[in-house]
Amino acid sequence: MKEIQRQSPVQFKADAQKIAMRDNWPVVLEYSNEGRGPFVVDLTHKAKWDLQDKNLATHKPLGLDIPTLPGACAFQKSVLINRLNRTQCAIWHLLADAPALPGEPGYTDVTESTVLLALFGPNALAIAEKLTALDLMDPQKQTPFLLQGPFSHLPCQVVTLERGHGFDGGLLLTCSRGYARSMVHAILDAGAEFGLRPAGEQRFSAWASGLSGKPGSAQAPSVMHLVTTRENL
Amino acid sequence: MALTISCPNCGKRNGYEFRYGGEDKGPRPAEEGLTPQSWCDYVHMNNCVAGIQKEWWCHKNGCGAWFTIFRNTLTNLEVEEPEAKL
Amino acid sequence: MNRLTKLPTLRIDPSENRSLQYKGQTYQGVAGDTVATALYANGVRVFARSLKYHRPRGLYSLDGECSNTCMQVDDIPNVRTENTLLKNGMQVKDQNVKGSAEFDWMGFMDKLDCLMPAGFYYRTMHKPASLWPIAMKQVRNAAGLGKIAPDFRMKGDYTEIYPRAAVCVIGGGAAGMTAALAAAESGLRVVLLDARPWLGGCFDYRVSAYDQEKALYQRARELAKAVEATPNIRVFKHTAVVGVYNNNLITAFQVGGESDSFNERYLEIRATSVVVATGCIERPLLFENNERPGIMQVGCAHRLARTYGLLPGNQAVFSIGHDLGLEAAADLFDLGLQIACVADIRADGQDPQLLLALTKRNIPFLRGWVACEAHGSRQVEKVTLSTIDGSAKRQFGCDLLVASAGLTPITGPLTLAQAKLKYDMHTGYFLPVDLPAKTHIAGRLTGLQHALAIEASGRLAGLNAAADCGFDTAKSAAEAGQQLNALPGPERGTRLVSAPVKGRKSFICFDEDTTLKNIKQAIEMGFDVPELIKRFTSAGTGPGQGGIPGHNLPLLVSEYQARTGAKPIPTTVRPPLVPTFIATYAGANHDMCKRTPLHDLQKKAGGVFRRMGVWRRARYFSEDFSCREEILNVRNNVGLLDASTLGKFRIHGPDALKALQRVYVSNMAKVAEGRVKYSAMCNDDGCVIDDGVVVKLAENDYYFTTSTGRAGETVEWIRFHTRYDGWDFHLVNLTDAMGVINISGPNACKVLAKVADTDLANEAFPFSSYREFTIRKKIPVRAMRLGFVGELSYELHADASYMPALWQIIEEAGQEFGIRNFGVEAQNVLRLEKCHIILGQESEQRTNLLDLGLGFLWHRNKPDAKTVGAVALRQTEKDPGRFRLVGFKMEDPQRPPRDGSIIVDQRIRGYVCTARKSFTLNESVGLALVDAELAALGTRLEIFEDECNGKRLDARIVPMPFYDPQGERMKM
Repeated sequence: MKEIQRQSPVQFKADAQKIAMRDNWPVVLEYSNEGRGPFVVDLTHKAKWDLQDKNLATHKPLGLDIPTLPGACAFQKSVLINRLNRTQCAIWHLLADAPALPGEPGYTDVTESTVLLALFGPNALAIAEKLTALDLMDPQKQTPFLLQGPFSHLPCQVVTLERGHGFDGGLLLTCSRGYARSMVHAILDAGAEFGLRPAGEQRFSAWASGLSGKPGSAQAPSVMHLVTTRENL
Repeated sequence: MALTISCPNCGKRNGYEFRYGGEDKGPRPAEEGLTPQSWCDYVHMNNCVAGIQKEWWCHKNGCGAWFTIFRNTLTNLEVEEPEAKL
Repeated sequence: MNRLTKLPTLRIDPSENRSLQYKGQTYQGVAGDTVATALYANGVRVFARSLKYHRPRGLYSLDGECSNTCMQVDDIPNVRTENTLLKNGMQVKDQNVKGSAEFDWMGFMDKLDCLMPAGFYYRTMHKPASLWPIAMKQVRNAAGLGKIAPDFRMKGDYTEIYPRAAVCVIGGGAAGMTAALAAAESGLRVVLLDARPWLGGCFDYRVSAYDQEKALYQRARELAKAVEATPNIRVFKHTAVVGVYNNNLITAFQVGGESDSFNERYLEIRATSVVVATGCIERPLLFENNERPGIMQVGCAHRLARTYGLLPGNQAVFSIGHDLGLEAAADLFDLGLQIACVADIRADGQDPQLLLALTKRNIPFLRGWVACEAHGSRQVEKVTLSTIDGSAKRQFGCDLLVASAGLTPITGPLTLAQAKLKYDMHTGYFLPVDLPAKTHIAGRLTGLQHALAIEASGRLAGLNAAADCGFDTAKSAAEAGQQLNALPGPERGTRLVSAPVKGRKSFICFDEDTTLKNIKQAIEMGFDVPELIKRFTSAGTGPGQGGIPGHNLPLLVSEYQARTGAKPIPTTVRPPLVPTFIATYAGANHDMCKRTPLHDLQKKAGGVFRRMGVWRRARYFSEDFSCREEILNVRNNVGLLDASTLGKFRIHGPDALKALQRVYVSNMAKVAEGRVKYSAMCNDDGCVIDDGVVVKLAENDYYFTTSTGRAGETVEWIRFHTRYDGWDFHLVNLTDAMGVINISGPNACKVLAKVADTDLANEAFPFSSYREFTIRKKIPVRAMRLGFVGELSYELHADASYMPALWQIIEEAGQEFGIRNFGVEAQNVLRLEKCHIILGQESEQRTNLLDLGLGFLWHRNKPDAKTVGAVALRQTEKDPGRFRLVGFKMEDPQRPPRDGSIIVDQRIRGYVCTARKSFTLNESVGLALVDAELAALGTRLEIFEDECNGKRLDARIVPMPFYDPQGERMKM
């Protein structure tokens, strides 16, 4: 048989233009016809660590501080750390390869447990609004922030990374790996009216690297009013 | 649909995100001196208060935490911890 | 028909044509027309026939408040044509007629009304009982509106959206718009909903003065512009509120416009506070034949002209009870309508300016008069007016009768929100008292009529709603309150319930053909509360959702009963407030299910999938659902099974062992390095809820499995049963992280040896042990030797992303042996032959650990652990009368009973859990739960299968397991 490769649970029906191999993961860097956004990108290959400890403050993964309140996130260097609850946080290596898993027993490599998707670009949050009642536009929250709750009827972790004008912006989403195909189908269906298309890792890196290390804007996002029917018929 | 519940990690959410875990009856009693009747009462008998009760909920569609709230069973609305004990 | 095309209030575009097909002809309409107005423009006056009496019906409210204009549009029945925008090419058909709406052969039913008094169907056609099937068939043919084929499929896009708002304003008229603007001043997120395709409410079509400079309609458009220019107000038009729930959760349905991607969509809005400014509809006037085509409400007539450019008739009579009627009369006269007479129910109280307007136009005006009978068989031709007390009468010829008793506030959303409605003597309305928390009302709904007062009440409500969200609006709210107080308050309403008539043909509910006479009949039969009368006569229970009779029914009942001091009691409403498509409730309706990493490979290999819980799993691998080949291949050769759905967990931390001891019945301290420990979890009744194996990875670090069905609840379960202890342990759900391949069969070791980087000899890797190694030097696996199917088996756990590769490696290695896939059904039979239980199949709610013969798992001597289930097991172990799990063999080796068949003698003694014809044993065998009394080996059992017609099947209890009783095959 051919070379042994890993396989993502997400297989977009699009032509992969450029693929790179990383730890036996064939990572699609670029698809043809990615369009101008919004985009959905499969990041399931990104290393994800679960860290649980009675006293999380004693840990400094990659030398970084863990946010203290549940729902808070810190996106520093190439790593996003999400505080899930009193004793647990998630560490996602979004922009660079992960080092070896630290030896402390609190860490578990959960890369394989969940599918990780990025949904970003023009109208990305309008797409999300069709799939979840979670308040991604909450003016009292600063990006990046985490919400744990239902997204397309499945329990998910949703990190709102950016909020721009109107419904522009972007989020990261994880749910149990087994649901990957159903979730992607639901997202693509909801995004069809906005021209949502699959894109490769390069598109994600270009967007996300601009956000790393930046605290979110403190302003409440301006909510674009959606005129849903023409005024003068 | 009506009920909203305040999760200690996630804040106020739609009741459908949670699973009900019963009235708060305290930790399981020691087995010493337990009759089948008293054990069955601990497991199955409920006070069914017409008013405010303390109860357990699990945020199953969210963070997965188990926690207690106070709920007024007459209005089916979550309430703040009552000052006077019932 | 000629349109009035130059009116500034129009909501149509006369330059853009739209057409529809009706009765084999093409009818022309314009952009902005509804199906109803387009038909009206083409001279259609009779749109439908009523439910019971097949009376001709036409345009009445223009808002779809009743089913008068329900027709079939593009194969969809019961479309409310008054609310449906015309799309080019729509196919329209009348319904509930034999013939056409104009000439319905069923029209004779109208003469049979004396045979159909209130609630007649409860009291007739049941004696003799043999009559009923015949009667039912006839009734079904004659009654009901609309037809649909059972395999009909809705076309189009139905989706959903979950907008969040601090303040949700229901109603986009002047009050709603000013409320939204006021709430938005604070920067809060505001959502504004209106059921019509435009904002404007009752100002939208009226040319009377708002102030010195502008007319009402101009003010409406000015407000709408301001609203739409405000960035933090989101407007949803053509959106009707359907439900309102505690904590200000609002559901609504939106009809998609031509530029929208959806046909209809469901909105769910969780708001902090709500403003209800839904305005009013009109209270119908009750008189004989009050629902003839040609009779319509004031707003309907006025808007036909002003909004749609259609003069509603040629020669009109008005019988009205409020100033809007006078205003409409003068305005329609100016647009070309001839008016024979305006009769006003009120003796006094009219706006003098409006009376002057009538005088100036020489329109005859009668004070204290009301329509009492309309004449004309299919359309109104003449009307008899009378004084309120019936002492004098006059007749007028007309083709249009504008009739309206007064106004009715739209309180549906408030009733759903559990506000109480109380009758207000001044306005004659049922007004809300005890508003729920953070809910405010404004506008005409509260009884206000004055334009400035309507707006001031909106502003006040909006500011109060913003205050509910934590904003300090005290100062501006006080100002707004003062402004409101300086303006005219709620106006006195009419209380006339009906004209002085007997009421045999005075319809209180158009949808259900309920007359005044029917109401009186119901009261005389003893129904004394409007809610009961409503249900008994079915008044208000039709598609109009109470829009027509809602206000009149309680007034009528109260008047007729004449009980001293008693006030009218309103009837209740429930969601949905407007008729809705099920398709919209279903929304996008994606099937969210789980697939294993091997899904595609198995499908290609011929897997036949079934939904099992949340997973899709390969149940069979051929069209032979007995799985004979799959089973024998495992017994004699080697097979491959995808077991990825197994629950898998890591538990770590200083108190991990304590947690395991709490939930597992065995002594978990005895999990030896490199060994697999099988145990079970029970609930507090001692009933088995899960089983699985535990492996120790390191100190305070364990890896354990659970059944597929329980994987989703395992973490929740363990945390629940340790919630008071404050232990330091952590759980990680790895169910999806790792896939599992099960290689089973006598040749399993030979296959695996070709690819595994480890010694697989029995000494190195014995039965019931755990090893970690790699496959082809690349894929790390956790391997266990277990025996669920009773053959030499290796269960390989590997990273989900490596699973397809692993599968292919093993298939290739197994090719020389003819390795084959086997599915869940084959596995079911194989394990049955070994008498291994599947929870939920061999157990049910009452089955405890001991009943299943798993008592050997229970370690009694760990009281400190407070193991879940231990107390109940100890208390019940000597109880008589419990079930026991037994294995049985059928007398007839070819005839297994169906799963679930009951075991009987004089009464039920148990049931068959699983039974199959075993190809391995050439017997039919099964597992059953029976009364302990019958559980002895050799006992004869009688099995009663569903539909067996009394012929029972015979079986005998035999030792377990049936296959390989020594258990040697697994340990090869």
